[in-house]
Amino acid sequence: MTVLSSDLPPFRRADGPDKVTGSGRYTADLSVTGMAYAKLCFAKVAHGRIRRLDVTAARELAGVFAVITADDVPDLLYSPVIPDRRLFARDVVRFEGEVLAAVAAVDAETAERAVSLIDVEIEPLPVVNDLEAALKEDSPLVHEDWESYEATGDTPRDRNVATFSSITKGDAASAMDTADVVVSSRYVADGSHAVPIEPRSVLAQWEGDAVTIWTSSQVPFEARAGVCETLQLPTNRVRVIVPHLGGGFGGKCGFHFEAHVAALAKAAKRPAKLVFSREEEFLAPDRRRESMIVELTTGVTNDGEIVARQGRVLIDNGAYVADAAFFPQLAAMHVGGPYRIPAIELEASLVYTNHQPSGSVRAPTAPQACWAVESHTDELADAVGLDPVEFRRRNIVHTGDEGFAGQVYGEIGLDECLERAAASLAASVAEVPLGSHEATGVAVSWWPSFGVPAGANVKMQEDGSVQIITGAQECGTGAVMTLADIAADELGVEPSDIRIVYQDTAVAPTGPGATGSQTLLNHGRAVEAASRQIADQLRELAAAELEAAAGDIVLADGQAGVAGSPGASLAIADLAASAAQADLLLGSASAPVPEYPTVSAVCVGDQGMAAWLAPQFSCHAVRVAVDPDTGVSRVLEVHAAHDSGTILNPIGAHGQVEGGIVMGIGQALTEGTQLGEGLQRNAGLLEYKLQTIADVPTISTQFVEIDTPNAGPRGSKGLAEAPNVATAAAIANAIRGVIGSSVRTLPMTAERVWSTIEEARV
Amino acid sequence: MTLTIAHTVDDALTAMAQGARPIAGGTDLVVGHRQGKAPLPAQLVAIDRLTELSRVELASDQIRIGSGVTHADLMIDPIVVGRLTAVADAAALVGSPATRNVGTIGGNIMNGSPAMDTGAPLVVLGAEAVLRTETSERRVSLADLWTGPGTVSAQADELCTGLVISTPTTQHGSAYVRLEYRRAMEIAIVGAAASVSFDGDRITSLRVALTAVAPTIREVKGLDDVVDQPSFVGTGGVIVPEVLSRIGSLASQQATPISDLRASDRYRSHVVGVMARRAVDAAARRAAGEEISVPVNRAIGIGAQR
Repeated sequence: MTVLSSDLPPFRRADGPDKVTGSGRYTADLSVTGMAYAKLCFAKVAHGRIRRLDVTAARELAGVFAVITADDVPDLLYSPVIPDRRLFARDVVRFEGEVLAAVAAVDAETAERAVSLIDVEIEPLPVVNDLEAALKEDSPLVHEDWESYEATGDTPRDRNVATFSSITKGDAASAMDTADVVVSSRYVADGSHAVPIEPRSVLAQWEGDAVTIWTSSQVPFEARAGVCETLQLPTNRVRVIVPHLGGGFGGKCGFHFEAHVAALAKAAKRPAKLVFSREEEFLAPDRRRESMIVELTTGVTNDGEIVARQGRVLIDNGAYVADAAFFPQLAAMHVGGPYRIPAIELEASLVYTNHQPSGSVRAPTAPQACWAVESHTDELADAVGLDPVEFRRRNIVHTGDEGFAGQVYGEIGLDECLERAAASLAASVAEVPLGSHEATGVAVSWWPSFGVPAGANVKMQEDGSVQIITGAQECGTGAVMTLADIAADELGVEPSDIRIVYQDTAVAPTGPGATGSQTLLNHGRAVEAASRQIADQLRELAAAELEAAAGDIVLADGQAGVAGSPGASLAIADLAASAAQADLLLGSASAPVPEYPTVSAVCVGDQGMAAWLAPQFSCHAVRVAVDPDTGVSRVLEVHAAHDSGTILNPIGAHGQVEGGIVMGIGQALTEGTQLGEGLQRNAGLLEYKLQTIADVPTISTQFVEIDTPNAGPRGSKGLAEAPNVATAAAIANAIRGVIGSSVRTLPMTAERVWSTIEEARV
Repeated sequence: MTLTIAHTVDDALTAMAQGARPIAGGTDLVVGHRQGKAPLPAQLVAIDRLTELSRVELASDQIRIGSGVTHADLMIDPIVVGRLTAVADAAALVGSPATRNVGTIGGNIMNGSPAMDTGAPLVVLGAEAVLRTETSERRVSLADLWTGPGTVSAQADELCTGLVISTPTTQHGSAYVRLEYRRAMEIAIVGAAASVSFDGDRITSLRVALTAVAPTIREVKGLDDVVDQPSFVGTGGVIVPEVLSRIGSLASQQATPISDLRASDRYRSHVVGVMARRAVDAAARRAAGEEISVPVNRAIGIGAQR
């Protein structure tokens, strides 16, 4: 390993200069000749029956090229697992951001005026906005015809329950009877948003019967598949290109408005570009962090051993399932947590409401579920008089242990994460003692790695420079840029000799893109395998020239040398020049998908989430101050320790953890969607309060590096989502430490903290 | 839409007499237009280049702040920081560096928002706005200027050219404290300003005003019995806690806040009392000679130094 060690000079991102100098082009920056401006017409009511949708006046407005509705696209239901929605609403609207029509006009102002001329009459229907009321027999249904939807896989459904999962091991009720102490808790988390800094944009241009779509997507291949499915086009006629992407955080996963704009461009007979406002970015995409109710009952022995847990989770799905079908099982895994629990009974339901659809925002279900279960864990520790770190020490999973769902773990570093984060915080407290309104809090968490197919093409050119052609998508993390380090290490060249070609479905092999912490895990394995093919060719060429065995050829520092013979070497660039005249240096690989582990728990509604490939573990330990007069909490320090396997790019890895923590602080304290009758009331950055750089605490990060088999390249696991999971939980425990009781709603806003203090006083 | 660029104040007044509205930083006007609150006026006159409006001047008994002085200048101007410290406290909390660099105090007070940060400090310091037309000039107290949320008593052709404030006496201090959910890009949920003068260990003057708890910035009444009472504890220059609590209670009682996305009325009423208490405490300590850096929100309180 010459390139990937952590003592190297700072990692330089190939996309960095473009982004910081402003020369980089994002989708909204693009223009093509004759382009029209698109605008969508939204329902703006949470639930209703369309009585009139008349676009005549909009169509007749001067400067309008096209207005399309459900009548202008194939009439079909789409979505993974449960196809339950259409591109444009037909008959019923089920959330405020539902699209009724799309307009293409000569400029943005005319498009907006045309939308205002669309004559809409929607008869209100009762709004389903309460998770518990939605489960009752007499609740109105979000989807009257839910039974007719053709769901795939193991998906128990019932009325407003979109999907249901349970995980059962042993006899939890009997085991609970053997506990010395039983603690029950209930927690409610509000929904929140991904809030990428770039509101999304889509530009579509038809040439003949094929369409090119530039879009702000984390997952260009999934976006392409969505267009092909909804517009009934073969894969070969849709090309998706992603210019620079201004962040995603999961909000730009999935398939969103690419087909709307493609259909609109076709109708307008000219290219069309849609650019979302910040408000639209809040209201319309089907990716929102789901609100959740968590009820937990856990039995422990007097010496702090968990003997049983029963739990129920309700998840706000919103109006359509999007990618949330697996959320119940994932949430169940998180309210069980990385603990050894011999008997468990967990049930989780994904509940239809008339809210914006939920979907995979960075570590879906996990921050809220972790916040609930780790708050509960501190209550358990209190109940048996144990220090929170010691209580966790006695119950978490260690190497070789069986998790609560029955997966047996190989070498894992959760215990070391706990010890290291706690020790780092303790050292700080020893140096600067806790102030009068300060306390510490700790939380552990986990997150799966997802192994899926991905391919890569790599070519070495005549001057020895290298191109990687990948379906990976850069969404701001820098993970794609690390692919160059992997190839450079395989090929013995510098990362600066390598150019990464990505962002184009017509060029790159298929891959998952920037979703589920998968960039290095999956695309990295493919790049590694494809690079190795070229390395093998180089070794063969060098072996022939140097009269050595190919197996003895070492590729490093731009040279092909012979192990043990320092004098004998050839420049790799010279080998490449020779090859350019004969057999070209090309590598192309599709890395095999790692084998998934098995479970022994009984899972109803199994979505493949009860056994995790290469699970990642972490512990966050925080110091928090709370103003007792106002309830304002301020996070002063976060000490993080993560087991994400081998760390390939230390600078990028630190950046991921720091970003995840800051996002976690937002979820803990200030970020929450406020709703009224199903409508978002704070769909903007004035009232939806992100954390700012001025709020960022001191962050100390350590990596527990374990070379993990059956995982990503070189023993790595994912790292994009894990840092976002434990932060809010640790903060909750620290706040509880200051004020003496749990704040049972998330975010733990100043007013909620103050109310909790007030209630405790009574 | 027409945009006139004024090179002199008279240019601006002429344009306003013909119906133009002044624009300096545009942080309210342009943002409001984009949010669909109010369309941009058909005629605008840009006053941001008028250097005569962007000065802070100290005469013998009076400080004059030009209406074009930006928040970024206010937070570091030696006259403001030294003698009108509450105004600097408030200016330093406004929006972001970008907002502070273009947003002006004149725009702030003429926008008439009860949530403006500089309003309460100016009230407790007794500031008067100077309003000019082509043919007249008058001074108006801020209490008379602000008539409701977003409304002012000025005529359409009157330009606010600045503020005048009587130079505070020597044993004087002022402070502005605000509730913040985060440390930048924040808007006042509630806030309070205080101005305190001492003669020896007696309070000779005490004014407190509240942000975002009424249709306009509200001055707390009934503080007279606090004045002329011995209020020092030892030599620390701190007003006794009982007096601070009484001031806080008066503030909470006189607040008539609304419930909205940012906070409930109940929470606002409680917290504005806390803010008032802290503002009076900080102002008194400054009056006693203690160095409390600007803004108070970063100098004292939870995690302030970190």
